[in-house]
Amino acid sequence: MVTINGESISILLFFVGVYGLIARQNIIKSIMSISIMQVAIILYFITTNIAPGSVPPIGDVAQTLQVADPLPQALMITDIVIGIGVTAAGLTMFIHLYHRYGSTNWQKVMKKRNRHD
Amino acid sequence: MINLHWIILLPIIFGTVAKLIPLKIAKKTMIFFQAALLVAITLIFVEVRRNGTILENIGGWPDTIGITLRADLLASAMVLLTCLLFLAMIVFVQNKHYADHLFFLLFLSFESLIIAIFLSNDLFNIFVLIEAATLIITILIMYKKANVAIYDGMMYFLINVVAMSFFLMGVGMIYKKIGVLDFYALQTALNQINNPHSLILPYAFMITAISLKAALMPLFSWLPKAHGTPSAPSVVSAILSGLYVKTGVYLFLRLQITFSPIIDTSELFMVLGFITAIVGFLLAFAQKDIKLLLAYSTVSQIGLIMIGINMGSPHAYWGGLYHIMNHAVFKSTLFLTAGMIITEYNTRNLDEIKGVFHRMPAVGIATILSILGIVGAPLFNGSISKYLISTGSAGTWIEYGLIFINLGTIIIFVKYGQLLLGDGGKKETANSDILEKAVVLSLSMLCFFGGIFGSELIAILFEVSFTVELLSYGAKLLLFIGSLCLGLLIYYGLLKKKNVLAIFNSIELGFNEVCLSIALFFAFMVVYLKITL
Repeated sequence: MVTINGESISILLFFVGVYGLIARQNIIKSIMSISIMQVAIILYFITTNIAPGSVPPIGDVAQTLQVADPLPQALMITDIVIGIGVTAAGLTMFIHLYHRYGSTNWQKVMKKRNRHD
Repeated sequence: MINLHWIILLPIIFGTVAKLIPLKIAKKTMIFFQAALLVAITLIFVEVRRNGTILENIGGWPDTIGITLRADLLASAMVLLTCLLFLAMIVFVQNKHYADHLFFLLFLSFESLIIAIFLSNDLFNIFVLIEAATLIITILIMYKKANVAIYDGMMYFLINVVAMSFFLMGVGMIYKKIGVLDFYALQTALNQINNPHSLILPYAFMITAISLKAALMPLFSWLPKAHGTPSAPSVVSAILSGLYVKTGVYLFLRLQITFSPIIDTSELFMVLGFITAIVGFLLAFAQKDIKLLLAYSTVSQIGLIMIGINMGSPHAYWGGLYHIMNHAVFKSTLFLTAGMIITEYNTRNLDEIKGVFHRMPAVGIATILSILGIVGAPLFNGSISKYLISTGSAGTWIEYGLIFINLGTIIIFVKYGQLLLGDGGKKETANSDILEKAVVLSLSMLCFFGGIFGSELIAILFEVSFTVELLSYGAKLLLFIGSLCLGLLIYYGLLKKKNVLAIFNSIELGFNEVCLSIALFFAFMVVYLKITL
């Protein structure tokens, strides 16, 4: 029996993203799938090393007994920034791609590209 | 000797500062800057060679907690190679019209990132560096804004982002299980793991991403598009194919060493390397575009390197590492000369280019020297590394496989060599650049010196000594002549009239198919590890 916790949900979400990448031909949906994968990774990381009842490692935690592991949270701040950058760059490139080929479909875009070659 | 983090930071800082200086002066100072960096790195290399590994904990944290930079012999040799190649490239682009301030900023940042990937010792750090490098490469390969650029750039970008997502998921799982992200602390910790099954998923996630970076068999389809795209300046193609794809091989090596206490997949990757090598040259032969042909030949050579480093014999291992260096030299020369040929002839079609020797003698000589290097002709650097790999494989089926792979390489480059022959028509136009010729000629001379001083160079770079036995080297010489004749026969007898392999050209994977192959590779790794462990 698989319990419903951060780990199992995030792995499920990750493969939802992978499914989207494989099955959807729309370029925007591909970029969305990548975002879903990133959200899954973030969820996975921040549920690492957290005991029930622990507090986030922010501010004055000297009196608290259980503090969540700060490292994955610090790493995820970096990853959120990278994720935003990647999505923004992907969408910007998509705008240019759309202007040039006039389609949002990977297959059609590929055919048009090969005609140019 | 300067600290390791300065080696990484200086190119970025210099690239930024150079934006303030007029372009003409900036270009000249950049050569001096690169030369100075090369000297600094050589000093670090000498230091590592004398006193062993240099460790630097950034921020003054104790070991294994903060980010660590680690320069061992292999890493510093790779950094030395990086700096040498970038010096050559910066000299090469001096008179190019596309080399503006922005180009230099991106190019030097790219150098920093490659050096940082080689020196870094922390898994998350490597993820960040590769992600940044992906973004920069995407801009660089679209730099000349050709018609097809945006599609090629977008494919490269999204596929690599997907792969790095796999990598990060694996890093998260490793952190949850073990609690460290440092390569060497991880290795120590993994020694104490009793149940290897708990590490199958993280390993499979990470190795999938790394295999894509190293362009192994089912996952290489992004590489030729990125390396051979018309919009990429030839220096960028040269660095990507000669150097950047090696970061994948290097990380693969690091990961395998780290996981070696519990997971051993060297046999699988040797077979994958073998398949990659064969598929690589079959596809390379099908190409008409000279840059694509060279890019597919990179895939084939990566397969050869993977065979070497996964064989498990010290000869083959060091031969594989030496082949990384050699391939960097001759493949970047070939890409640079290909770029010059394309500008001169104004076409990329192999059939339309004739008589390079006659029309551009210097380029012709550089091309022929690096072709001799890549096919493993005696006295050239390729022959030494191929000799070592095949010595390590003596007595197994791989030994015959290697002969077959080398035959394939010979056939590809007999085809590529067609552009040298024939009548080139008019002489070279007067505006040819002396610096470009000097760079390609000196790089191709390196191929020759790498062959003559092969065992000395290996002794200097990796601190291992191999004697090249004259008798078996002589046997390899006969074998080379035999396969050269066979290659010429096959090409002129069979393939020249009708390119039967051209059907491969019609198979092109779209974005969804590439993602599917990533997922399938991942699933295959999980199943394989479940069965073998």
